[in-house]
Amino acid sequence: MSEPVDQLSQGTPALRLHRQLSAIWATGPGLQRLAAVNHSVIGMRMMITSFVFFAIAGVLGMLTRVQLATPNSAFMVPETYNQVFTMHGSMMLFLFAIPMVESFAVYLTPKILGTRDFAFPRLTAYGYWCYLFGGTILTVALIAGVAPDSGWFMYTPLSSNVFTPGMNSDVWLLGVTFVEISALSLAMEIVVSILKMRAPGMSLDRMPIFAWYILVTAMMMIVAFPPLILGSILLEVERAFGLPFFDPTRGGDALLWQHLFWLFGHPDVYIIFLPMAGVLSTIIPVFANRPLVGYRAIVVAIIALAFLSFGIWVHHMFTVGIPHLALAFFSAGSAIVAVPTAVQIFAWLATLAHGRPRWDVPMLYVFGFFFIFVMGGLTGVMLAMVPFDWQAHDTYFVVAHMHYVVAGALAFPMLAAFYYWLPLLTGRTAVHRLSVPAFWLVFIGFNMTFFMMHLTGLRGMPRRIYTYSGFEGWNWLNLLSSIGGFVMTIGFALVVIDLFVQLRYGRRVRRNPWGATTLEWAMTIPPAPYAFASIPDLGTTRADSIAPGDLALSLARGEGYLGSTRNGWQETLGVHKTSGLPDQLIVLPSPTYLPLYTALVTAAAVLCMLFKFYLLSLAFALLTAGLFVFAGQSAGLARDFGPLPVGRGVSVPPHTEAADPPALLALICTLVADGTLFTSLLFGTFYLWISAPNWTAVVVPEPSRMLTVGAVAALGVAAAAARGSLRAATAGGRAGGWIGLAVLALLAAIAAAVGQIAGVVPDPRVHALGATAAALIGYVVLHAGIGLLFLISNSLRLGAGFISPRRVLDLRLTRLWLDYTLVTGVIAMGLVLATPVLVTVMGVRP
Amino acid sequence: MSERPVPPRQLWWLAAGFAVWCSALVALYAIHGIGCAFAWSTGSLRLWLAAALLAHLTVLGWMWYDAARAGADPGFGPTGAFLRWAVIGTLITAFVATAITFGPPLLLATCV
Repeated sequence: MSEPVDQLSQGTPALRLHRQLSAIWATGPGLQRLAAVNHSVIGMRMMITSFVFFAIAGVLGMLTRVQLATPNSAFMVPETYNQVFTMHGSMMLFLFAIPMVESFAVYLTPKILGTRDFAFPRLTAYGYWCYLFGGTILTVALIAGVAPDSGWFMYTPLSSNVFTPGMNSDVWLLGVTFVEISALSLAMEIVVSILKMRAPGMSLDRMPIFAWYILVTAMMMIVAFPPLILGSILLEVERAFGLPFFDPTRGGDALLWQHLFWLFGHPDVYIIFLPMAGVLSTIIPVFANRPLVGYRAIVVAIIALAFLSFGIWVHHMFTVGIPHLALAFFSAGSAIVAVPTAVQIFAWLATLAHGRPRWDVPMLYVFGFFFIFVMGGLTGVMLAMVPFDWQAHDTYFVVAHMHYVVAGALAFPMLAAFYYWLPLLTGRTAVHRLSVPAFWLVFIGFNMTFFMMHLTGLRGMPRRIYTYSGFEGWNWLNLLSSIGGFVMTIGFALVVIDLFVQLRYGRRVRRNPWGATTLEWAMTIPPAPYAFASIPDLGTTRADSIAPGDLALSLARGEGYLGSTRNGWQETLGVHKTSGLPDQLIVLPSPTYLPLYTALVTAAAVLCMLFKFYLLSLAFALLTAGLFVFAGQSAGLARDFGPLPVGRGVSVPPHTEAADPPALLALICTLVADGTLFTSLLFGTFYLWISAPNWTAVVVPEPSRMLTVGAVAALGVAAAAARGSLRAATAGGRAGGWIGLAVLALLAAIAAAVGQIAGVVPDPRVHALGATAAALIGYVVLHAGIGLLFLISNSLRLGAGFISPRRVLDLRLTRLWLDYTLVTGVIAMGLVLATPVLVTVMGVRP
Repeated sequence: MSERPVPPRQLWWLAAGFAVWCSALVALYAIHGIGCAFAWSTGSLRLWLAAALLAHLTVLGWMWYDAARAGADPGFGPTGAFLRWAVIGTLITAFVATAITFGPPLLLATCV
């Protein structure tokens, strides 16, 4: 069953192999660039795009500093100032910080792992376009004067219809959610790729520490983003259709938004920090000339940090009236989260202390990071103490702390990373005459700007005021802060000039100028679209202890795995998750415009929602789903191949026939994200039950038992039929009948659930009890609907020959989806059925 | 490489310790919220909270003991040894975090 190989790897000239691979992997010229799916191209685009947003957000930050430089300033009116500071924060967090760390991950991870690309290149491209279009919507709104103006965390009720009746809040809710689609899709991509697409021999204990950081960060994103996505959906539904989730007068609670926002918001700080810590853990050993101290302890520390960061969101809400005992849980958690952070800092210091450190530009920024981050960490521990937080809450002290931990912990390692990895792209290193002054300007400017804010905060200056009278004792501190802001901006401008100068006039260097020992340096400079001409076999060597120079030549000659081309396929290797042994040949899709078209249609759905063309928005949303089904039609291979040779005497099946294909893990990641969103919805329901001031409804709900049981039974039949289709296909039988039965069952479930929504009492627009019941049932309807899309796709692919007894991945995915739909359906419908009991219980409380 | 690959399902153990920590947070926060909403007596609420904390510490302690007692399977080679070390590390860390985060606060006034 093996396919003939075009050319044996032995004796293949490196140049010829390069040409063959380039013809297969390269992105076309001109407009064909819009069809790019390659991780290097997309990673670079994301990096440049996020820098553009950084520049815009930086200018907005400067405008706020101009306004606050002197008292009674008339530079901006309050309405404009509100938009400016809201957009500064929103852009920095959602359009710069998160995409920037993701762009690093997209560009570098496959190279550091010794593979050729990510698992789902079309998803990478779709994620990028969603990010670009979502960011553009926000930017255009700013130019049009209708930008969000309720602060970057959009607290209700300020952001609700009553107090923000225009489209400003909608822009934020829809634009940011659109961008989050990108973040989530890339996070899933990263998890799957790290676990399934490493160089053979790279077992988990030999994986570079950078990959551990990125893996944990991506997993955090999968769990952190859904609560905010849910919050944004609920608030948009409240604003658009009047369902009062956050309206205390109708059974909602404004604090629910804060919980959902900070369930995302606090882990987000670590989502930004951890990849940068990964950068530091990669750079410091190189410049210390010794391996990283405490590899295993750092792995444990980042796992601990990831979890602890999810359990301390309430420290942003210390002043909302939560009882002391509960506050103490979050206060203690906020303090001990410093311990795993300190483990990493001491590991870096120990690495430097036990090595022979040498100075260069990246190390200047590492030094800057240490200073800034330790300062921010210490003020973090101060703010974790409830009595201090009560004094400093909503003052400039918090603004200062936040900039030290988020801006400092991101900006300094990021610039260190730029200076470290730019030679990989350009073959040149920095011009010191510019780099060193640029660093000092950024460092001095940063501290001058934000250190002063600690002092203004301690002197009582509240955040977000647009001016002050001049008698408060803040004048000179604000002026210094504003001057510092300009110094920092000049520093950043010099950095940009330096990077451009480096591109043209930088000192030429040989491959691997820093003497690094990781795989990204074992490739051509600049990296070719296929990354590695052949995939390295690490044997028993650690992936952070290799000699890139020798390996690069050997790989270029095709002496690793897949050192030849076959059928014009974009091939790479899939490995066992823990051992890194090759277990499948992954054939990746070629460049296509489909991600661009799908993102454009998604953008149309978002824009129609923004301008209140709801039916049109629904139509575009359905078209987006249709395009996903269409994209799936060409995925995989249309016939069985059996084990195929991949070089070095190894043969493995293609991913379509493998037991553990990447798509299966991707769906599991999707369901984890989806499950988090569902859990957040359950949390919201119970939170309103226990906390909302006017939750006890006037009308006691009476959900229909028949419709509930009918919907759940139909979901059960659909899940059973999906299993039947899988069994039939595996046995070589006909699966079509089972798929048809599953379709009918899902239609019945949708009909019963829609009937249940129509009869929800109290009316969802009148009271939060009805609104939460409608949201829970709506969740079931949505998932049953997506299940239908799975089944339609199965049916089409069955007819086109993409499913055989060996290739049953489609049916496995459908089974998993329908199992999940059944489980969540039982919980959601059961909870709706239990609402009369909840109302009764609440009615009898003292 | 002659050793057997570590089954991927064992990776879940890396998250197991802190999953229990998360469970403790959810349980304690929920019990506290319900107890205050329904005006449970201070003693009764404190007892429930202490019981929930103790249950979680017991589970973590048992997981730690079990992981340490089982020893590394030499058949899994260095990868197995690394994962075992990391799992025990996360279990100890989660145990300490649970005790420090949720223990002392139980001495505070319950619903003020």
